[in-house]
This record gives sequence, structure tokens and C-alpha cells, in this order.
Amino acid sequence: MSMTRRIAGQLVGGLISILGASIIAFLFMRVLPGNPARLIVGPLASQEAITQQEKAMGLDQPLVVQYWRYIKGIITGDWGFAYTSGETVRHEIVARLPASMELGLYAFLIAFVLAVLLAVLSTYRHRPWLDGGVRTASFLGLGTPPFWFGLIALLLFSQVWGIFPGPDGRLGPDTIPPPTVTHFYTFDAVIAGQWGTAWDALRHIALPAITLGLAPWAFLVRLLRANLLEVSRENFLVVVRSKGLGRRPAFQKHALPNAFLPTLTAAGLLLAQLLAGSVLVEKVFNWPGVGGLIVDSILRQDFAVVQTFVLLSAILYVCVNVVVEILYSVVDPRVRLPVMK
Amino acid sequence: MKSSVGVAEGPEGGPRVRAAHRVFSFLAHEPALAAAVGALGLLLFLAVFGPLIWTKSATAVDVGSSLLPPSRAHPMGTDSIGRDVFSRFNEGARISLAVGVLVVVVGAILGGVAGVVAGASPGWVDATLMRIMDAILAFPALILAMAVTVGLGAGLETAALGIMLGSLPYYARLLRSEVLRIRSLPFIEAAHALGARRTRIMARHIVPHVVSTLLIQGAAVFGYAILTLAALGFVGLGAQVPTPEWGTMITDGLQYFLTGQWWIGAFPGFGVLLAVTAASVIADRTRDILDPRGRFAHV
Repeated sequence: MSMTRRIAGQLVGGLISILGASIIAFLFMRVLPGNPARLIVGPLASQEAITQQEKAMGLDQPLVVQYWRYIKGIITGDWGFAYTSGETVRHEIVARLPASMELGLYAFLIAFVLAVLLAVLSTYRHRPWLDGGVRTASFLGLGTPPFWFGLIALLLFSQVWGIFPGPDGRLGPDTIPPPTVTHFYTFDAVIAGQWGTAWDALRHIALPAITLGLAPWAFLVRLLRANLLEVSRENFLVVVRSKGLGRRPAFQKHALPNAFLPTLTAAGLLLAQLLAGSVLVEKVFNWPGVGGLIVDSILRQDFAVVQTFVLLSAILYVCVNVVVEILYSVVDPRVRLPVMK
Repeated sequence: MKSSVGVAEGPEGGPRVRAAHRVFSFLAHEPALAAAVGALGLLLFLAVFGPLIWTKSATAVDVGSSLLPPSRAHPMGTDSIGRDVFSRFNEGARISLAVGVLVVVVGAILGGVAGVVAGASPGWVDATLMRIMDAILAFPALILAMAVTVGLGAGLETAALGIMLGSLPYYARLLRSEVLRIRSLPFIEAAHALGARRTRIMARHIVPHVVSTLLIQGAAVFGYAILTLAALGFVGLGAQVPTPEWGTMITDGLQYFLTGQWWIGAFPGFGVLLAVTAASVIADRTRDILDPRGRFAHV
């Protein structure tokens, strides 16, 4: 089977997944609830507003037409209004995206670096206490509710020991945001040469990033550790060692690269953890990102924002998974992925 | 990992004593598994017998004794309106474990049936079922549960439904591949050759072989269900306000964490941590013991 056909198959499969996901979202959020118009305009709206909203949403039309309009709205970026702020949903989400992306980036970096380091250490060196400690920590990391971990971290590191600042968002109350270039405060402050601001931004992002990175770290370290152990039992490593290569170069040049490759497939799951995690973590730290917006919207019964977020996450998630599968079949020639599994 | 199950010399006594002895001597070689079973057992005990050993009400408001730190009268303190956190913790254990069991049982049956049917049916049934599972998998699990609860109205029931829905593909995919694997084994061919009909092969030969797979996946889903339920409660989409669910209790404690009253939110979070970690350790160890090749999907 040619590579082009395989990639085309992956893309078609991804599209079908997105289509299915949009149908599920449509069913649960537009069809099943008693009155979707009321859901959109909120419980405080007048009867007039509901009727108007019903008309605007085309609820008198047949389901197929409604679905088509729904899809068209999502694709063209017409995501509706957030009634509590009076802004469009797109404006609300776009305005808060950089904060979430910056947090996600740091969380991922922390998780990735620590996972690689600890997985390598715990498998390369035969220290049962280290291996046991890493395994226990990874189980605890996956079992800890991230929002609760954030609260405990705030309690200890901010309240009791005063190492990190409290939950006041991206910067301290007295710090002025740096001039906008990348929208990432830590980068922008460095670009502008404002070292004090950069330090403040780093201190503020530390606890939320560690909290958000906990689950991805636990997941990655388990995966890498298992891969390393599996690869080191493979025959080719025995051959390499019996040809006289030392343990360390064999590990570095042969075991590590082969153990890394399968973790690529986990990129989608990591994204899912970061997406869902941001919803749970940002609120705790008053981080002004999309996740916090979602929780606030739920509390204010402003569901247009939540509905958009749900479908956008699904689309993003599927896209990442498709890209990963294509990359994987390109990078690793052994994979004979069937077209449209 | 060595296990002494087969060779354990049981003490004199009836078969029940011997079985118990075997279980204990097995757990003695599996400290992590033993700790996990113990932790879940403790939570289960509190969930079932909590109201008997600790009779304070979980919902009675007593403003006079609000925000009391843990003491002999209130082992986990009291919350902002004077409710006993320990009673609420026990009630929360009951809710979490019950929802976990419900999600696992219903999900395993529905997802298991979908997987077995997909694996044993002609192409178009298989393809349709698996496309549906792909569509569910397109959502990160928590976000699917959010979609369901937002659409159908926030509450324990809809939360359980959303969590269950998100777990279906994991059973279905796993069991489908198991069925496909088993179907190609010689003993199925032998049954065929002996004249057994398809339904008989399914019921007598394939289904019994996938039960252990289903159980292990169920244990993993159990932890995921409790964690997701707490997350939904935390963002206000799960159990609603007076219900002492662990996630909502953490939300209750949110604003008191930084004013020093940590116990309101800390204990329920610890309950979640204990239950979820215990479930995943049990799932992981049984998987390693029963299935050294590791065919299972991690939720």
C-alpha cells in the first residue's frame, strides 16, 4: 500500500471522526435538552428573548437543516454570543487563548523533561528505591484530582512557606504587562528586556504549570519506562552488547531512540490531558485562560461558550491524532497501518 | 513477579480457610496490591457502615460550630455552615463508589456487547459500531462528560451517563480485538469442525475468554469514573449543591483553603486520590499478573 493512500486514509478517517463527534455534540447540546434556546440565552431571559433566539437558531427548521447551520457556524467562526459578557464567543475564546497556551506550553515542558529524566534514571540505574519511587509517584500523579493538587500546592508553597505568589493570575497586582509581541508574558518581558516582569511572570506560572503538568508527567513517565524496559529486552540490543558496545552507548544510541518513538502516539492523549486539565486547574489559580472561562461560563449558565469549546476540543484532538498517526507511519516503516481501521 | 498461589501450603481446615490463606499469602507477596485492596476496603467500609459508626448528620447545618478544625468531636473538622466533614466524607465515599460501580457495570455490559458483536459480525456492522466508537473517542473523556451534562442538565445521573458514555470505546475496541484474536485460534476451528453453531461458539468459547479482559478494563474505568465525577462536581456539572459529593466538597473548600481552613477541601480530595490510585494499582497489577504481554488500553 502506498504511502499516499495510507495518508489519504488517515485523513478520511479523521474527517469521519470529526463528523461523528459533531453529530454527538449536536445531539446532546442542541436536540436533547428541553429548550436549546433557553440554554443559550440563559435562565434569566424573557420569553421574548427565547422566541427570538429560537428563530435565530432556526429551531422551526428540520433537524438536517439545523445540523447544517450548526456545522456552517462552527466552520465560519460564527460561534454565537456569550450573553453574560455581550461579546461573541469567538472574541472571548481568542482573547483568553494565549494565557492557556503559555500555561500549557510550560506544563508540557516540565512534564516532558522530568518524565524523560526520571524514566531514564530509573531504568538505567538499577536502584530499586528510585524505580519504586517513580512508579509510586506516577500512580499518585494519575490518581490526583489536579484542582485539588493545585489547592494543596497553593496552601503549602504560597500560604505556609511563601515561596511562590498566591493565585493572582499571570502577574502580581503591581506588575504591568509587558508590550505585546507573542502574547506570552514570559517571552514578551524578556524581549522587552523587563527582567523584573519576566521573573514575576515565571513565579506566577510555576505552580499552575506544575499542577497542570502532573498528570501528563505521570502518564509519560510510565509510558517511557515501560518502553525502555521492553526495548532493552529486544534481541538487537543483545547483539549490540555482544559485539562489545558498552552499556551506556548501547542505551543512549540504541535503546533510547527506539523507546522514544512509541511515545509519539501519546501526543493526542497528552493534549487531551492538557485541555481537560486547563478547565480544572486555571480556576484554582485565577489564571485568565480558556479553561477558567469555561468554568465561569458553566457557573453563569452561559452555555454557548461551553458548547463551542467542546466541539473545538474534539476537532483539535482528532487533528492531532491524525497528524501523529501520519507522522508515525512516515517515521517508522515497520508500521503497516491499515487504511481506515 | 513470583506468585505463590499454586504452591502455597494451606493450613489444616476446610476449603474456605485454605482459600482465605491462599489469598493472604498471595497478597503478602504483592505489597502494592495489598495496600490498594486495603485502601478501597477502608473506603467501602466507610461508605457502607459510616452512618452507623459516625452518626452525625452530613447535611445538618449548625452555624454555631462552623469552620472548626479537626478535633475529637469532628475528626475532619466542620465546613462553613457547620456540617461535619467526616460525615460528608463518608457520604461522598458512598456516592463515588456507587457511581463508579454503576458506570463500570453498565459500561462494561454495553461496551462489551458492542465489542463482541463488532468482532463477530460481518463487515458493515463492525464498521458502523467502530465508527460510533471513534466519534465518542474524538472527545477527551472529561469534555464529553461536560457536553452530556451541559446538554441534559447538570446532576449526578447525567454525570454518570456522560462518564459511562466516554468509557464505552475502551471496552469495545479491546474486546473486538480480543474476539478477532480468539476467533483465529485452532480450538474455535475445532468447535466449528465439530458442528457447533455460531451462537454456541460465541457463548461457550469466545465470551468466557474475554471476561477477565473485561474485568481488568473495568477496574481501570472505575478509577477514571471517580476522578471524572469529582472533576464534574468541581466545575459545577456533577452533583448539585447540598449533595456531599467529593468534587463539590472541594469546590466548597476552595475559598477557605487560603484562609487557613484547609480541611474542608483537603479530605475529600484525599478520598478521590485514594480511591482512584487504588483502582489503578489493582487494574495494573492484575493485568501484569494475568496478561504479561500487555494488550490493554490505558484509560
